[in-house]
Amino acid sequence: MKLVPSSRHTDRRYLGRRRAAAFAAGTVALALVASACSSSGSKSSGSTGSNSSKPITIGVSVSLSGDFSADGLATEQGYQTWAAYQNAHGGILGHQIKMKFLSDGSSPTQVVTNYQKLITVDKVDFVLGPYSTLLTRPASVIANRYQYVMLEGIGGGPSVFQSGLKNVFDVSASATFQMITFAKWLAANSSPQPVAYATMDDPFIKPTTDGARDYLTQHGFPSAVYKVYPLETTDFTPIASSIVASGAKIVVLGTMPPDGYAFIQSFIQKHFNPQMLIEASGPDQGSSFVKAVGAKNTEALMVPNTWYPGSTFFQNSDMVAQYLKMFGGKAENISADVAEAFSAGQVLTQGLTHNNSLSNPTLQNYLHSDVTFQSVQGPVKFAADGENAGATPYVFQWQKGKPVPVLPLGIADAKPIETNRPNWGTTTGS
Amino acid sequence: MTAINAPASYDVPRTARFGSLAVVAAALVLFPIVFSNPAVTSVGVFAMIYLMSVTGWNIFSGYSGYIALGHAVFFGIGQYSSALLTNHLKIPPGWDLFALLPVAGAIAGLAAIPIGFVLLRVRKHTFIVLTIAVMFIFQLLAFNLRSWTGGSQGLQMPFPTWTGSYFNEPFYYMGLLVSAIALTTSWWVRRSKFGLGLLAIRDDEDRARSLGIHTTRTKLIAFVISAVFVGAAGAIYAPFVGSVFPQFAFDPSFDLALAVMAFTGGLGTLVGPALGALVIGSLQQYFLLQFGGANTFLIAYGLLFILILRLLPEGVVPSVTGRWRQWVVYRERSHSPAPPGTGTPPEVGRRRDVALEQGRPA
Amino acid sequence: MLITQAVIDGILVGGFYALMAAGLTLVFGVMDIVNFAQGALVVLGAYLSYALSVHLNIDPFLSLFITVPATALLGVAIYWVLIKPIKRDRVVMSLLVMFAVATLIEGILDYVFKSNLVQIHASYINKSYNLGKLNFPAIYVYAFLLSIGLLGGLYLLIYRSNFGRSLRASMQNPVAARLVGINTDRVSAITLGIGIGLAAAGGMVFGTTNAFNAASSYDLISRLLVIVILGGFGSVSGALVAALLMLVIQDVVAVTWSPLWGQTTFYMVLVVVLLLRPQGLFGRKAVRAQ
Repeated sequence: MKLVPSSRHTDRRYLGRRRAAAFAAGTVALALVASACSSSGSKSSGSTGSNSSKPITIGVSVSLSGDFSADGLATEQGYQTWAAYQNAHGGILGHQIKMKFLSDGSSPTQVVTNYQKLITVDKVDFVLGPYSTLLTRPASVIANRYQYVMLEGIGGGPSVFQSGLKNVFDVSASATFQMITFAKWLAANSSPQPVAYATMDDPFIKPTTDGARDYLTQHGFPSAVYKVYPLETTDFTPIASSIVASGAKIVVLGTMPPDGYAFIQSFIQKHFNPQMLIEASGPDQGSSFVKAVGAKNTEALMVPNTWYPGSTFFQNSDMVAQYLKMFGGKAENISADVAEAFSAGQVLTQGLTHNNSLSNPTLQNYLHSDVTFQSVQGPVKFAADGENAGATPYVFQWQKGKPVPVLPLGIADAKPIETNRPNWGTTTGS
Repeated sequence: MTAINAPASYDVPRTARFGSLAVVAAALVLFPIVFSNPAVTSVGVFAMIYLMSVTGWNIFSGYSGYIALGHAVFFGIGQYSSALLTNHLKIPPGWDLFALLPVAGAIAGLAAIPIGFVLLRVRKHTFIVLTIAVMFIFQLLAFNLRSWTGGSQGLQMPFPTWTGSYFNEPFYYMGLLVSAIALTTSWWVRRSKFGLGLLAIRDDEDRARSLGIHTTRTKLIAFVISAVFVGAAGAIYAPFVGSVFPQFAFDPSFDLALAVMAFTGGLGTLVGPALGALVIGSLQQYFLLQFGGANTFLIAYGLLFILILRLLPEGVVPSVTGRWRQWVVYRERSHSPAPPGTGTPPEVGRRRDVALEQGRPA
Repeated sequence: MLITQAVIDGILVGGFYALMAAGLTLVFGVMDIVNFAQGALVVLGAYLSYALSVHLNIDPFLSLFITVPATALLGVAIYWVLIKPIKRDRVVMSLLVMFAVATLIEGILDYVFKSNLVQIHASYINKSYNLGKLNFPAIYVYAFLLSIGLLGGLYLLIYRSNFGRSLRASMQNPVAARLVGINTDRVSAITLGIGIGLAAAGGMVFGTTNAFNAASSYDLISRLLVIVILGGFGSVSGALVAALLMLVIQDVVAVTWSPLWGQTTFYMVLVVVLLLRPQGLFGRKAVRAQ
């Protein structure tokens, strides 16, 4: 299968759309719902005592249908990979891990109900985060109500951190940091010059672009053009025209994969040759990307990412092996969602093991104590608002038909940045 | 009295109706006490939000026949009013939040005046589509007016510090209270001269106008009343979920949900839409909990919907009451066959017929 | 220059929106049906062309010879099975039936193709033509020519054929049409077939210029409905003018101000027009009594 799930935790489509379909016209009544919920409760409502043979249950709501279904599946696989790996290595504090998944159909109302069910009916010991900023925020509020820690890897928009919740911890680089590595490198290695920006209006994507723009503006790089476009935009030619007309040589785009392809197609059609082009998402999609823009056009395009299959960080090769064993496929097609979910599990493991305790409040205090944890995405250290202050996202660049890590400069297998872009000045075929 | 002079005798008996009403009311009041589990009461809160919304919606769309697919506008206005007022007035999260229900409802009602003025210039088919367009205008505005709405980042609300086992109950009972007010209003409208005007508009707007009904004013008033209840529903939803995002505040699926609930239960009847809200509103969450993983979900849903439209084209309540009347007529006929030409029972089961009977002035 | 370019972009893209909206408005004009499934049918057409290009390597434009007749037959079937039996409240009931059809189609597409976004590939996707400083992407030019061709064909069909005469008669007065011996059911079934066939043609263009999945239909249907209201229900030329207007306004606002306000501005224009002309730009004044 060359269907690569989107590796970005963004909220591309209206959740609402599919949700309409969730109104199953049925015949059973409210009471049935009630009795069904509570009966399943009586089944699994054991004590949460610390008998060491008893498994630790961990609950997650995942979007297995609806707009996030592709990413939701990858998220679930990431958690499953972590649980299987950890169980094969003695579990946590001698307990086996038992995952409990509920599906939320990509809907926030269902997330609200699901986390309440996980905590009060299924009586899980811990919860981990759902997919996307839009769903993580309501889920965190529920977890907070029951003094549960919300460790998550896929909900890094500012909306999650700005409400004073003390129980939220994002193990991945949050949105505003995604393109910071690139911005820092540019500011350090280039004299100030105009930069063109365009970004989708999305609670995760827009802050990625704004983060880079704020940093570059502070360092004397003026914005040649800055266009924010709505989620449902399908025609990117006018925005591309604006960028071309701005004359900027450096272009920073906050895109989802389809927009990322569309912009490149437009630039090719318009024979526009920026010196540097970085897209929040699109060039990270492997074979789909090559197919969409043509192999020879990929050269020197850049994309930030929090993870890659060849990373040498903590347990990464184990995770990749475990994933391939369980789900098959190829390492380069593993979604970053998998790594992000796996990282949340890793931090949970380390927190619980260190405390030698299965208490949520103890875990919360420990996570807030400026400790550095290790994950497949690199070191994790939480700021007061729960963002991962230690995160340094990578920048990848397409070189000779393959994406290779180029930034930050210090990392082990970094290649030098290629500045020799293919010329889009002449009409290109397939 | 012959049958034709006393159409009420073809109705479901009064005692049966009031009896079942009392049972349902008691069940709804006792529900969170019997099933106190938060996962269940959470489903209950969303059912209440739909209950009051669809009842309000039905006062306009059900009685006037103008199917609005844009009441998410008022749901969203209610949500944003609630969030903005809470944040700007620094309202302590807790019971005080519910003081905003009438305020949010009033704001939605006020907004409905100019919106209704624009929308109600067009007739039924164009109206349906125009309501969808207006809904998208508001969603776009919510995305674009950043300084007010926070744009795509949404607005975050403070949340009451009530414990989990107790948290849902206040929302549930406030929802039930507003729903009861909405149902009472709906019942009153149905029996009033104003309501009769609405039903006349549904049956034949031009004739209604020629009979001296101020059709525009009548429609507008009903539109505003419906907006008030949907707005109040938004003001329960926002603090319950804790955040407001444009795509959930102005959500096209909310509009479709209301229409589907009302049609399934029985458009233009008093209890039909309410029944639709309770059953569908809670079942959607239940089905997703049980079968959400299967992606055959949409297919099953589409097929089921087509089936319902084919088998019960008028909704559950009118179809059932219609059957009841057919049965009564059948029984009476078999007991005492009426002479031909006299005592022909009224056409049964037709919505128009039900409207004329129940819509007579008090 | 930027604005001229935006106007050109708007016109090129507007052409195929007109194509998709023409089917919708025609169906409404003949039988008072708001075909809520038009968006889903566009996506169905896109997926059919996609499948043909991936599995059989058929050029998307050539695939129309298969997809358009196939979806047109589907339209005829939908009419006989689902629309004709509706006895009362035709407008609202048909809206709900078509909504159910849309859900069903979306469900099936989601099941068969999964929810990953795909795009139809063609060799000319990166090509463009230049005229001075103006730029014309090849794919949009071809799509525009296709749209104009099909809309022209539709015009001839409506105004220059026997079927067109029956169709217009059914539009103007269905009862009288039946009295003079026109089989209005047959006319309606064929019209729905044509409308849905046009959706499939539009879908092919949509699929080559956009990445899409089953859920894309919701964006589409709201836009198509808005085009149809602005143009006036039942008016094919109204749909063309409204579609061009919508895309041109959107694109010009996007380059001169912000893409975020492009669509909002268009909606504002819509509200103003409807305040002045409730029946839309080219709509008939008379309103059918219910």
